[in-house]
Parts: sequence; C-alpha cells; structure tokens
Amino acid sequence: MTFLSMSPLLIGILLGGTAVVVTVLYWLKPPPRRMVVPSKLLWDRLLKEKRRSTLLDRLRWWMSLIIALGIGLSVAAAMGRPEFAWTGGEIPRMTIVIDNSATMAARTPDGFTRWEHAVGLARGLLEQGSVDGEFLILDTSGQAPSTDPGDRRSARAALDNLTVSLGASSQFPGFIETDGPLYFISDGVLVRHAPAQAEVVSVYDPADNVGITAFEVGSVPSVPLEYQAFLEITNASLGSKQVSVRLTGAGEGGLRETVTLEAGETRGRTVDLSGFDRGPVRATVTTDGDVFAADDVAFSFLPVRSRTRIALVSPGGVFLQSALADEPRLRVATLSPQTFDPDVRADLYIFDRWAPEEPPPGPALLFLPPNVPWLAPTVAVLSYPSVSGWDASHPLMRFVSLEDLRIERAVRLGARPGEAGTADVDVVIGTTELPLLIATEAPRKVIRAAFALEDSNFPLQPAFPIFLSNVLSWMMDEQSAVPRSPGRIEVTLADAEVTDLEGAEVETSQVSGRTVFVAADPGLYTVTAGTRRMRVAVGISDRDRTAINASIFSPEDRATAPPEALRLAGEAGNELWVVLLTVATLLVIAEWFTYHRRWTV
Amino acid sequence: MAENGTLFDEEFLKKLEYLNIVSNHMIPGHLHGEHRAKKKTDSGIEFADYRQYVSGEDTKNIDWRTYLRLDKLLLRMFEEEADLPIYIFFDASRSMDHGEPLKYDYARKIAAALCYIGLLNHDRVNLVGYADGIAHEMSSRRGKNQVWHAFRFLESVPANGTTSIEKAFKSFFSHRRRRGLVVVVTDFLDETGFEKAFDLLRYFRQDLFAIHVYSPDELRPQLPDEVLLEDSELGTTERLKVTPGLMDAYSEKFEEHCEEVNSYCKKNGWGYVRTSTEVPFEDLILQVFRQGRFLG
Repeated sequence: MTFLSMSPLLIGILLGGTAVVVTVLYWLKPPPRRMVVPSKLLWDRLLKEKRRSTLLDRLRWWMSLIIALGIGLSVAAAMGRPEFAWTGGEIPRMTIVIDNSATMAARTPDGFTRWEHAVGLARGLLEQGSVDGEFLILDTSGQAPSTDPGDRRSARAALDNLTVSLGASSQFPGFIETDGPLYFISDGVLVRHAPAQAEVVSVYDPADNVGITAFEVGSVPSVPLEYQAFLEITNASLGSKQVSVRLTGAGEGGLRETVTLEAGETRGRTVDLSGFDRGPVRATVTTDGDVFAADDVAFSFLPVRSRTRIALVSPGGVFLQSALADEPRLRVATLSPQTFDPDVRADLYIFDRWAPEEPPPGPALLFLPPNVPWLAPTVAVLSYPSVSGWDASHPLMRFVSLEDLRIERAVRLGARPGEAGTADVDVVIGTTELPLLIATEAPRKVIRAAFALEDSNFPLQPAFPIFLSNVLSWMMDEQSAVPRSPGRIEVTLADAEVTDLEGAEVETSQVSGRTVFVAADPGLYTVTAGTRRMRVAVGISDRDRTAINASIFSPEDRATAPPEALRLAGEAGNELWVVLLTVATLLVIAEWFTYHRRWTV
Repeated sequence: MAENGTLFDEEFLKKLEYLNIVSNHMIPGHLHGEHRAKKKTDSGIEFADYRQYVSGEDTKNIDWRTYLRLDKLLLRMFEEEADLPIYIFFDASRSMDHGEPLKYDYARKIAAALCYIGLLNHDRVNLVGYADGIAHEMSSRRGKNQVWHAFRFLESVPANGTTSIEKAFKSFFSHRRRRGLVVVVTDFLDETGFEKAFDLLRYFRQDLFAIHVYSPDELRPQLPDEVLLEDSELGTTERLKVTPGLMDAYSEKFEEHCEEVNSYCKKNGWGYVRTSTEVPFEDLILQVFRQGRFLG
C-alpha cells in the first residue's frame, strides 16, 4: 500500500497515535454516579444470572473498543490517501496534453461532449500509470496550474479542474521534456500540430453545427444616426441545414426567418435596426441536431442616437472644420480663442493649439495645447518623433491603423499625478516614455494630443474620420459593445462593477487599475465605474471555432472512453480513501446502533 | 421520615374514621372473621347445639323438656367467642426509609389504620417494629382508648438496621403467644429470605396477612448509563452499566420476587396484597378488607 499524501513514518505515527488516543479515551471514562438504593438484593440476583450468560456479554467492551479503533484508524488512513499497488499500472511517468479548445465542447451522438470523452480517456491513461509514478496534465489553453509532474491523484485533480476554453487561443504547449509517454487527446480542429513523439488520441466525431460567425452593430455611414446589424451565419455541418435566424432587441423590427444553407456555406446579411430603441441586441440561430451551442447566440448593443453639440476653438485650420462638417450627427460651433466664452454650453469641447485657463465643463479633445494649470506641462519639443505603437484595444483606435502616420513636431508631456504613465491615463498613441496621444477619464474625459494636426499627416490618413467618429462615440459614451471572446476579460475601467444581461453581478478582480472578470459563456455584460459605463459583448463569432468538422482526423481514428470513466469524470470514484471513509461511516452507524441498544456498553 | 406528631395528623384521623364506617358497612363483624375462633362449651348465653349425655357429666344442662318428649338425655351446648389477637409487624429496617413518599411512613400509616380499626372493635392488638430482630414492641392492647398510645408508639420508632423477619418472628413467638392473625407490612427486601420466617408462623399455627409495600422507583428505577449502586442497609456497592435490557430484566426480577411471596402465601391460604406508595393508604385498607380474608 502506498500513501500519497504522507511519508510512511508520518502515516505510522498518525495510525499509532490514533490507536493510542482511542484506547486511552476508553480507559479514561469518568467515574460512575453513586446512587443509594434501598437494597441490592434484586440487583445482585439479576447480575448473578447475567454474568453467567453469553460470551458476547463478556466481550462487549472489547467489541466497542474494536469498533472505535476501526473508525479512528479508517479516518486516519484515509487522510494518508492510500493506494494499493495493484490498483495502478506500470508506467512510472506520463504526460497527457488535453485539447480544451472551443470545438471540444461539441456534443457527440452518445450525449457526451468531445471534452468529456477526452477527460475519460485521460483518466483511463492515468489508470495505466503506477501508483507511485509521476504524471503531468497540460492543456492547450494554458489552464493547467502547474508544469511540474505530480502523483496520480493530483493529476486527476488537475484534470477535474480543466474546462473547455471557448475564447482563448489554443495551441500545443511549449517544449515538454519527458522520458515517459506523451499523449495528446484532441479533436484535431483548432490544434492541429503536435510534436512527433506525442501519441495522438482522437476524440473527433463528425456532427452538425450551424453558428454565427460574425455579428456587429454599427451606424450607417451615410446616415450616422441610423444603425444596422451585420449578421453572418455558417453551416459547418456535413449536409445542408434549415436554419431559423432571429434578431431581437428593444423595440419592434428585427429579423425572424428560416434559411437553408448548404454544407460549408456562409451567408451574411444586413438588418436595419431603425425600429429598435437603445439597448441590447441578440442574434440566435437554431437548427436540428446542432451539437455546438456556444456559437448559436451573439450579442451587441445599440447605442443612443442624438445630435452632438461641438464647440471647436481654433486659431484657424481646415482639417478639423472640414472633418467635423462631414459628420451629419454633429452641430458644430466654431470659435476663435479670443471669442471663447467659458459659459458656452457644448457636449464636447475641441481645442486646437489653444486651451482655456480653467478646464471646460464637459469632455475635451485637445491638439497641442499650451501650458495651462489644469494640464500637465510640456517639457520639451521633439522633431519627427517616431510613432512606435498604439493601443489597438482602446475604443478610440477601433478600426484605426497608424502605419503611415508621420509627425513633424510634437512636445514631450511632463509627468503629473494622474497623467501619462500612471494608472488613470491611457496612452493611446506612442509609449509611456513618449506618449503622443493620451486619454483620461477622471474627473472628465480628456483626450490630449502632443502634436498639432497641421504638424502631421494624420488628417490625411484614411483612419482620421474613423478616429474622430471613435472620439465622438467614446466621449458621448455612445460606443457599441466591445466584442470579446469567452474567458478572462480585462476592461480599462478601474474598480468597476460588472453585471450580466439579467442584472446579476459578476465577480471581478482588479489588476493594474483594470477590472478583470470571467465570462464563461456568450452574453452581454455591462461594466460600470461611477458615471462611466461600457458594454462587453462576449461571443465566439469565429469561422474557425464554428467549423467543428474541420478536423485532421477521420472518424475512424476516434478512441472511445470507457463508460465508467465518463461517469466518473469529476467524481472521487472508488478510490481507497473513499472506501475507508465509507467504512468509518458504517462503523459510526454500527456504533450508534449498538450503543443505543446497549449492545456494546 | 415524618417528624414526631405529624405522621398521624388530623386528616389522617378523618380517614381512619371513614375507614371504620366503611368497614362497618361492608361486612358486619369487622375483624371478627374466620380468625375469630368459636368453640362450643357447656356455659354461655348463645345456644349452639345438642349432644348426647354421657354418664358422669354435670346434669345442669340436660334439657328435660326434650327428655320428656323424646325419652333421650341430651345436653344443651353454648357457643363461646374466643378472644384472638392481632399481631401487626411493620418493617423498621433502613431499606424502608426510601422512596417518595417514604415507604416507612406509608407502612406505619397502614399499621396505624389496622390497629385503629382493631382497637375500636375491641380486638387485642400487638404492634411490633422489626429490623434485624424485634426493634420495638408495643405490648398487647385492647380498647379504643389505646389508640393514641399506639400512634405515639408508631411515631417513635425509627427506621434503622438490616432486615431479618425470621429473627423477629423467632424472637417474638419464642414466648407463648395465642393463635391469632399476624399482619406483616414490609418491602420484602430481606437478605435472609421470607420463607423460613413464614414457616415459623405455620408451625405456630398463626394466620398471616402480608402487605408488600414498594415505591415506584423500585419498580422502574431512574438510573444513569453508568452507576455505582450502594445498598442502604449493608453499604455494599455494585457498578452497573445500565441498558434497557438490564432494566427490563430488573423489572421482571421484581415481578418474579413479588410473585414468589404471593404464591407462598396463597399456597398456605394466607392473604397477600402488594401496593405502591403512590396508592392512597385508605384505598389499600379497603382493598385489604375486600379480600375478605381479613374480615368475617
């Protein structure tokens, strides 16, 4: 017998100590109560007869002690997590890489998912390992907590803690050094490459799936106050499918139709959302025999639609005026620095190479502002700074590429609490050493460019109108939902609360001034931090994930997990410590039963 | 134990009056029952029978009228009532000083009640408190003016010592005693047994009525799981692990013990009654009377 959680010496001490304690407790019974009776005459007669009775009467004390020892030793031995050598195989070391990419969630005809089959097979492989062997469980999404091998029980525990990762990118884990067998259990769809020494075990079984491969809500370019949804559906089944498509939101309209898609066919269409009010938009597809539910639903958010008042304060410049004039959802008031009145009301203030002494009452976009008290001072003037990068995940940079941006002159922004380089400031363009465009959200939204449009080719870039549109959406809190994949999601808001579509609060954590939460399934999440709010549409609208039959394996390669292994997934099974605890429980019941009937006392 | 002067209070005396009235109504003659011997003599008031005259006998009781009519000499016989005593033995050992209410108080009330009724009906009554032999004795009394003396005697006797009714009987009947009715009020918790003692009564041709007194907690004692039992008379101890089975066996043993006494009495034609101290003593007295054996 091998004890997995304790050394032989420790388990010996534990068992011996338990036996001693139990026995001593039996000897250290409190003295009985003294009671005076009129006469012991009848008791003496009775006991005289009783003492002549059965062997059981004489042995009852020993019976009770043996039961108590059985209980104590069973529990103590169970704590040592014992295993008999004959319950294991002969392989001393083993590494199992299990594919937990999105397509492993596809259900097979027997009712179990590919993932459950994979776990069952992994369990079966572990059973072939020796009791005192070393085992390592890894996955393709980086969920496995340790890259150090452990005993068979910890390998089983690691296996139980793994789940299918719908969103994360999947790949075979890095270099694995092992002198034992290396198994890779996969459906061969998203992770197609494994090292040559890996013995590949297939769980691929062809199945039907129709999924949403793209879903987006955006304004109509010609009429920015109107919105459309783009929906793309792919039939990844091996045959044609009738698909019921629904698109719902707040208000009337939407889409409800049935289409027929041939095998492998992808069809996209645009849906007018003019009948919808502001709120969540949900797209669903349903079809018979669909085995992969995660791509059957997608979410987005329809933002508020209203005209925005802009106060543009500029000493003169054509780029901003002409770009803003092209935006039909804006009402622009152009002012010179001399005519700027701090009391003028606007939804957004744009200051071009000028800034007031006091901060404006609303959000502001500043291009090369001079030194004013409410802004960090500039410390140097730079010629031809290189644009070393930008934060593509920031809402301001959505669909914006700055590959060809050239800046003739810029200033270096000085450090100031709450500005560049601190947690409250996002460097949108440039680096923390040389920020070229920064965005702050507290106490008000401010975007500050370290250069003037006239000193760069930014206004000439195709991305400039998109950037301006992003600025308006971000400033007015009109942005559509940010698309994310299921899994760990990080948003730029600090100390934010996250709620799902039903309003239930989602558990969050804070990492470097950002809020992190886990969205295991597709859905629309609202992230709120004070007055700021953003929406995250979680889904797996992705052709690669929907294509669950695009496997490198053929169905004939499939290995089948034994049914008992499938049933035991996530359970303790018939391990010896469970048996010992069961024995202890039965003995407790027996002790209770015999005690109350005074058989053992 | 009740303090002197409080055991037989006014309420108790009222109950005795009631018992006396009830017993008069139940069966006339009170204690003049089968225990009262009747013999036919040649003197007396109440005519009983005739018998043949034998030569040499006194001729004063010859019925001459009958001689003239039948030509036979017949003597008139008269019935004479014998004065048979009642011996009331009450157990005054330490084992009686237990229970709630105390068995000893209960036993003395029974003894007092029987004594009272006996004295009121002009019977001769002896009261004997016994433990390991005769502890206290009130000599033979007759007449209702002896009631208070009897009560004072009963109140003055403490419960003490071990039990041996055999020794008590041996000691008491070693003196010349007239045949009578022996009433024993005891808990029958006697290490020496009762059989030999009762055999003595049979030998002395005494009639017996046994009253077995027990307290409810003797029948079904409330004991903890583990207990050290101490004998109140002997001071010996016994460690017990109390189980429901043991308690059931004890109850059976108690019943068996009572049945032994009952069978023994029945076999000898004696009266036996068993009572818990929860039963009002006056009810017990009436039960004793109803047995008939006690009354004529």
